[in-house]
Amino acid sequence: MDYSFGMNSFRLAMVWCLAAGSAWTAPVEFNRDVRAILSKNCFACHGQDAKKRKGKLRLDTADGAFASKNGAAAIVPGNVSESELWARIHSKDPDEVMPPPKTKKPLTLEEKQTLKRWIEQGAKYEKHWAFIAPKKSKVPAGAPNPIDAFLQQRLKREGLKPAPLAKPETLVRRVYLDLTGLPPTPKEVDAFLANPSLEKLIESLMQRQSYGEHMARYWLDLARYADTHGLHLDNERSMWPYRDWVVRAFNQNLSFADFTRWQLAGDLLPKPTLDQQIASGFNRCNVTTGEGGSITEEWIYRNAVDRTSTAVEVWMGMTAGCAVCHDHKFDPLSTKEFYSMYSFFHSAADPALDGNKLDTPPILRVPRPGDEKKLAALDAKIKANEQRLASAVAEIKYTDPAAQSPLPKAITKETIWIEDAVPPKGAAQGNTPWKFVSKPEPVFSGTKASVREAKGLSQHFFTGANPPLSIESGTKLFAHVYLDTLNPPKEIMLQFNNGTWEHRAYWGGDKIDWGKKDSVSRRRMGDLPETGKWVRLEVDASQVGLKPGAKLNGWAFTQFDGKVYWDKAGVSSTTDPAKDSTLSWAAWKARKEGERNKDLTEALRKRFKGKARDKWTAAEETELRHHWLARVYAGAQKELGTIKSEQADLEKQQADIRKNTAVTFVMADLPKPRQSFVMIRGQYDRPGEKVSRNVPAFLPPLPAKPKARDYNRLDFANWLVDGKHPLTARVAVNRIWQQFFGVGLVKTSADFGTQGDLPMHPELLDWLAVQFVEDGWDVQRLVKRILTSHAYRQSSRATPALLKKDPENRLLARAPRFRLDAEVIRDQALNLSGLLVPTVGGRGVRPYQPPNIWEPVGFASSNTRNYKQGKGDDLYRRSIYTFLKRTAPAPFMTSFDAPSREQSCTVRGRSNTPMQALQLMNDVQHVEAARNLAQRILNSGVADDHARIQWAWRVVTARQPDAAETKIITNVLADHRARFAKDAEAAKKLIAFGESKADPKLQPADLAAWTLVANLLLNLDEVLNKN
Amino acid sequence: MNPAHEYHQLQNRRQFFQGAGLKMGGIALAQLLGQRAMAKADPAAQMHPAMPGLPHFAPKAKNLIYLHMNGAPSQIDLFDHKPRLTDYYDQELPASVRNNQRITTMTSGQKRFPVAPSKFKFKRCGESGIEMSELVPHMHSIADDIAMVRSVHTDAINHDPACTFVMTGSEVPGKPSLGSWLSYGLGSENQNLPAFVVFTPTVKNPSQALFTRMWTSGFLPSKFDGVKLRGSGDPVLYVKNPPGVNPGDRRAMLNALGTLNQKTFERFGDPETQTRIAQYEMAYRMQTSVPELTDLTGENKKTLEMYGPNVQKPGAFAHSAILTRRLIERGVRVVQILHRGWDQHGSLPAQIKNQCMDVDQPTAALMKDLKQRGLLEDTLVVFGGEFGRTAYCQGKLTRENYGRDHHPRNFCMWMAGGGIKTGITHGATDDFSYNITRDPVHLNELNATILQCMGIDHSRFRFPFQGLEQRLTGVEDVLPIKALLA
Repeated sequence: MDYSFGMNSFRLAMVWCLAAGSAWTAPVEFNRDVRAILSKNCFACHGQDAKKRKGKLRLDTADGAFASKNGAAAIVPGNVSESELWARIHSKDPDEVMPPPKTKKPLTLEEKQTLKRWIEQGAKYEKHWAFIAPKKSKVPAGAPNPIDAFLQQRLKREGLKPAPLAKPETLVRRVYLDLTGLPPTPKEVDAFLANPSLEKLIESLMQRQSYGEHMARYWLDLARYADTHGLHLDNERSMWPYRDWVVRAFNQNLSFADFTRWQLAGDLLPKPTLDQQIASGFNRCNVTTGEGGSITEEWIYRNAVDRTSTAVEVWMGMTAGCAVCHDHKFDPLSTKEFYSMYSFFHSAADPALDGNKLDTPPILRVPRPGDEKKLAALDAKIKANEQRLASAVAEIKYTDPAAQSPLPKAITKETIWIEDAVPPKGAAQGNTPWKFVSKPEPVFSGTKASVREAKGLSQHFFTGANPPLSIESGTKLFAHVYLDTLNPPKEIMLQFNNGTWEHRAYWGGDKIDWGKKDSVSRRRMGDLPETGKWVRLEVDASQVGLKPGAKLNGWAFTQFDGKVYWDKAGVSSTTDPAKDSTLSWAAWKARKEGERNKDLTEALRKRFKGKARDKWTAAEETELRHHWLARVYAGAQKELGTIKSEQADLEKQQADIRKNTAVTFVMADLPKPRQSFVMIRGQYDRPGEKVSRNVPAFLPPLPAKPKARDYNRLDFANWLVDGKHPLTARVAVNRIWQQFFGVGLVKTSADFGTQGDLPMHPELLDWLAVQFVEDGWDVQRLVKRILTSHAYRQSSRATPALLKKDPENRLLARAPRFRLDAEVIRDQALNLSGLLVPTVGGRGVRPYQPPNIWEPVGFASSNTRNYKQGKGDDLYRRSIYTFLKRTAPAPFMTSFDAPSREQSCTVRGRSNTPMQALQLMNDVQHVEAARNLAQRILNSGVADDHARIQWAWRVVTARQPDAAETKIITNVLADHRARFAKDAEAAKKLIAFGESKADPKLQPADLAAWTLVANLLLNLDEVLNKN
Repeated sequence: MNPAHEYHQLQNRRQFFQGAGLKMGGIALAQLLGQRAMAKADPAAQMHPAMPGLPHFAPKAKNLIYLHMNGAPSQIDLFDHKPRLTDYYDQELPASVRNNQRITTMTSGQKRFPVAPSKFKFKRCGESGIEMSELVPHMHSIADDIAMVRSVHTDAINHDPACTFVMTGSEVPGKPSLGSWLSYGLGSENQNLPAFVVFTPTVKNPSQALFTRMWTSGFLPSKFDGVKLRGSGDPVLYVKNPPGVNPGDRRAMLNALGTLNQKTFERFGDPETQTRIAQYEMAYRMQTSVPELTDLTGENKKTLEMYGPNVQKPGAFAHSAILTRRLIERGVRVVQILHRGWDQHGSLPAQIKNQCMDVDQPTAALMKDLKQRGLLEDTLVVFGGEFGRTAYCQGKLTRENYGRDHHPRNFCMWMAGGGIKTGITHGATDDFSYNITRDPVHLNELNATILQCMGIDHSRFRFPFQGLEQRLTGVEDVLPIKALLA
């Protein structure tokens, strides 16, 4: 017994209308009464679609319907008997009768009568209501809130009255759930009971983070946000900064106009902020494929169609999908007009195929929360260090060897990297840990040597050392080794890591088969050195494939069998100081510009790029010389070494943060736009007429085209929110209404076209829409207006008479009552149990999920094939942060009607199934929540069962239980207690379910019994519903 | 039943209980409600009621079994016998045959399109003489019970859109699956099991993906989602009580819950509360009916042997097949098995043999088992993939080894059971199994035919969504294939 879907509310409206006035004299209105009949029964063949039009007759316009053909007209206003339409719908001849029998859409008697009266009254056509800009009609007297004024006027006409106010406990829970998606605590309930100012409560809840999270959820359904690409491999995509931005936008109450502009065209705003660029990712949330064999043109086309249709549905409440293939049969949207809008989206710069990558371009790197602070702190440290470096440089008494006479002799530079310890930041590893020994064991220099004794292959090594060790031309790598005389190895090997380990040199037997023999990845250097003495090993960097400029971050000492000591290792090179650009300023200056530039900072490089040496000013030369001494000069290791290595470390920290910043898909257009065409019958390979960017003719036009450029997405977005568009505000207001009342004022909230339902309270919808624009598209103000209405605050009790008269509650003579959404049900359970972790934002987390949800559908090579459940906090975050894999969404979401986000979803279903019952009773996350709630109950400080039941009931429902309810719980508690008292093992098993540990202070049998009671409480219909 | 009427009934019931005090306790109430939910006479009590007005006419088949071979089995190596290909071995596929039709970018860069004849022998089977290859020896024995369609065609050339199309009638995600349409329209006779059950047996190499959209409800309410019977873990999600909780505990909890929810109903008058009470009772019954369903101890040895060596192995195709029969026996409306691994771009002969080892014997056994129990006459069985494969070779070609690319222009499916003619071959293709030469069957037409067998006029089976009266069979007019209908 779901809320029935469909289009009956229009009929309902009509019946009421008939009931209200005298059926035979009441004026018929085309939009209200006639259009749907014609649309459903006639327009498919006699409508907008020129190709499908039969008998050259069109009934969707007055001109078409009144046109005389062979002396007859389909409709003769005021004259039923002369109207061919009337004759045709009554014809007995199967070839004549309309609609033709094969359509299987016969007219009802009521429909025929309506048509008859309409013709009799002059057959007046009207433009479809939703395409006429809304106007505020006069607010009827009688209620302070205009919402109530309009609604109650209608109720009066129906002979109904609004319901009395809901009980404050019911109302406070309703408001908390509706604004934050979380229930109130008893303390918060008390606070409201003591000071029942609804306005204040609403304002304070809107300040909460949870408000943004809850509101964002609805928008993410529209935006089709998810964490995977959605098609084929369905690999992970990094889009979550967009999700977090939506939360932020609601928390900051960004105006809906900006909310619109940023998402549709944030990238095109002048100097877009980070948030504006992130928001433009709305256009990138569509499903994409990376399937091998896919045809590029097809997917460029499909992606553009998805983006266009989604924008049209979300902002205009129109289903453009039909016009992809043919003129819209029912709405005035022609295929050409669809492709004119498509043209706004058709030049997107993303590739046709997503490459199955996390970061399909165009992307934006977004600093994580806290990162900016960290980067700033590092910046400050780096600046301070620069100062230290500058002062240290000033202390250096430098003479250029090139200026000496006679010129100095060649010298050997040695950089020691490993001495008594692993170099800074190096992560020491090995198949057994590093072992350092001191004398009397063999030590070559310093105070220690490292040692290793092994059978077979063994090694110790490090990676990640920083600053790295630089390789220059002529560099030799060296290390000192001492082989034990009694237990010599069969082979020793040095390995060097510059990102890979494919640089190896070995001595002795070829026992270790890593790399390729006789190549840089496994180079034999000679026999094993003499045992019982220290020997210096040297390897030319070029012999192991390390080119000048290479940076080493790791080094490995490897051996096969035996006992080996290692000591002092590093690099050395022989150099002529007068010609060495790291020793002679003159030599550095003499280098080619490109070589010099490599040593400069980005800022310096920019300034000196293309500037010949002889054009440097004296000040510039001093500046560069200072930089050279600080950064390049190798002769001041003693003076500058520490500062420089600290600096390198800080810079690396900065780089790491930048590297780990989140990536998010953003929108961008190709520099040269694609040409767009009508695609015949919606086929990607059949371009027809060329189109240019424009909006449909039945809507207000775009402003004059700028001279310098074509229209773009920003023009499109501005057009939507210029306040004159007849649809945007109505559609937005209607969706917010739907959020709180379950059904929109227009029930078909995704279809404001002629096939959609008529608004239930048209004046109210228009009043709200116009007011919304006048308020600067202020969403919070709109929400507050709705929530302070009597319609929202009244009791939701349905009487049999009311149910009969208004089963869908469109008249709102009672407040809505419906099941909470998937996320709210889970979040509520976590919240009531005290498990909820309120951390905001970040990459999607992976809470509990039964095995074999992803695996049986996933591709072997997909990176979302295996579900790796998170730990700790990840299990208890709000559901908006759950990783959403589109081809296999989490069961807690799908069982409760959450969409798969494969396409935009304007309204969720609200089903009521046994699968839901099984999940709420048995799913580990709900049972664990129940046990934690049980612990809260037992630790609540109230002594006896009766008081505990009162306490617990209030926690979950916000109200006190009555005597009968207390009695039922008391009895079932006794049953459970008796059972678990007899079966201690069962009790232990139950309370051990879930990752959180049971409170050891509590009696297992008692806790188990209360766990089942809490499980019962969390399954109450009253708890699963907004009441 | 309309909600107001239901409300009155329950008001009366409440008075009854008030009169009796709470002496009867919650158990009696829950039992009463439980029985009510099971009683067939009261349509509101049905867990899976049919839509009013459905079926449109007397159905030939009450239930549907859909065996989907995911990845696109090679029709040339299984059912579409093309002896003349041997003459063309390693020769270029004639341009007149290819006719510049689009091909995927996996082979569009190939310099040559050499013809690869099937290395497998074909046989005319049964009295009907339907042709099948040696890959499916067990299916030979059911030839006289099926209708072979050799001229099915589809729109999409890649797996994702094609799988979505074959199961939902649309390449774009978001539409209801065939099974969801049927459970929405026809409901189900079994009140203790879901109306639409899905198996996704495990395969050695899951080289193709499935998508939940192949059995979910799209824009229909999610209660029409296919429910997966799983090979490991709980057979139905969350059907097992938590550790330490036994059925008695659950019963006690549900009795209390039922009574408390009844009070909620009295307070708010919301008919959904009544539905919820009934759904919790259904959930409780499923906790018994599902284990009973999966318990094969009552099956006789001969039957088990017929399904082959893997019949007792949860997650195997054979196991899914016998459970399918048990589900059909219990009146479940739609059962779908989606078997992966049929995407043979290379090493086709070796791989397809493995695939057939999985499905051939159990499929034939399922057919015979249904027949021997008299179930086949009102059960429709459909067997096939999402598209076909090319006559030309992808990758290296030898007599013994070859691969084939995607081919949406023709492929084979077979149908059997309620409403379907037996022992016929419908449609034909050219000598290269590349173009249809007679009686094309578009997937929309195939789906219309399936609906026809189930008593549904596909053109009247609609649901309004996104401004369109949506149909499983698309917006274009199509007709069921009369030649296939008995």
